[in-house]
Amino acid sequence: MFEIEFGNSGEILCRGRLDAAQCAKAEGFLDSLDAVSTLDFTELEYISSAGLGILLKTQKRLAQVGAGLKIVNVNNHIHDVFRYSGFHAIFEIQAKE
Amino acid sequence: MHRDFPRHLNSLTPLYEFAEAILETNNISAGARFPVHLAMEELFVNMVKYNPDVTTDIEVEMSVGQTNEVTVTLTDNGGVEFDVTAKRPVDIEAPLEERTPGGLGVHLIQNLVDSLQYRYKDGRGKVIFTKRSENEDV
Repeated sequence: MFEIEFGNSGEILCRGRLDAAQCAKAEGFLDSLDAVSTLDFTELEYISSAGLGILLKTQKRLAQVGAGLKIVNVNNHIHDVFRYSGFHAIFEIQAKE
Repeated sequence: MHRDFPRHLNSLTPLYEFAEAILETNNISAGARFPVHLAMEELFVNMVKYNPDVTTDIEVEMSVGQTNEVTVTLTDNGGVEFDVTAKRPVDIEAPLEERTPGGLGVHLIQNLVDSLQYRYKDGRGKVIFTKRSENEDV
């Protein structure tokens, strides 16, 4: 189960598990972005390399127009995945407080 | 516990539920559960992705030892040889424009599990990995 939608402040709320079977849903949503955007991972429990690929693709596309993704409220496990993937160098990431 | 899963991405949720039930029953820590689920998905998806013409189920076996070490075996009947223990070049320090997602899954598996073995014989590929459960967040 994975859900993605805009929150009240324009942030993008991601919920559930972003596995390879859910990437089309994430990709369809993120492909519509064309400005600096914040992904709120407060309720995202899990992400695999397929999800990382979607984030990477979106970041590369947005960088071409001077924009990008900021990812906030990342849980410890996803934070580890980002660290092993070197995502801290190419995304602005804030861990969950 | 052993279960066969149809070779497609729709099996990921049943695969997760199968594993989570065993991990929950055995009080495996959240710190170990995440990498177990991640490694299982990455291995399963590779077996699906690299063998589009194969229709056999993928066999999954999971057990938990007395020291709370989780052992998972995925067996791929009829798939191509794909040694997940081989090192693959993944430059995690490359600038954004040079990044590609290729190889990240295997890179993550190799970094997140405690042991990883691969065997291939007579068209049958078998991956075995282990993950120890820590006590701090049980």
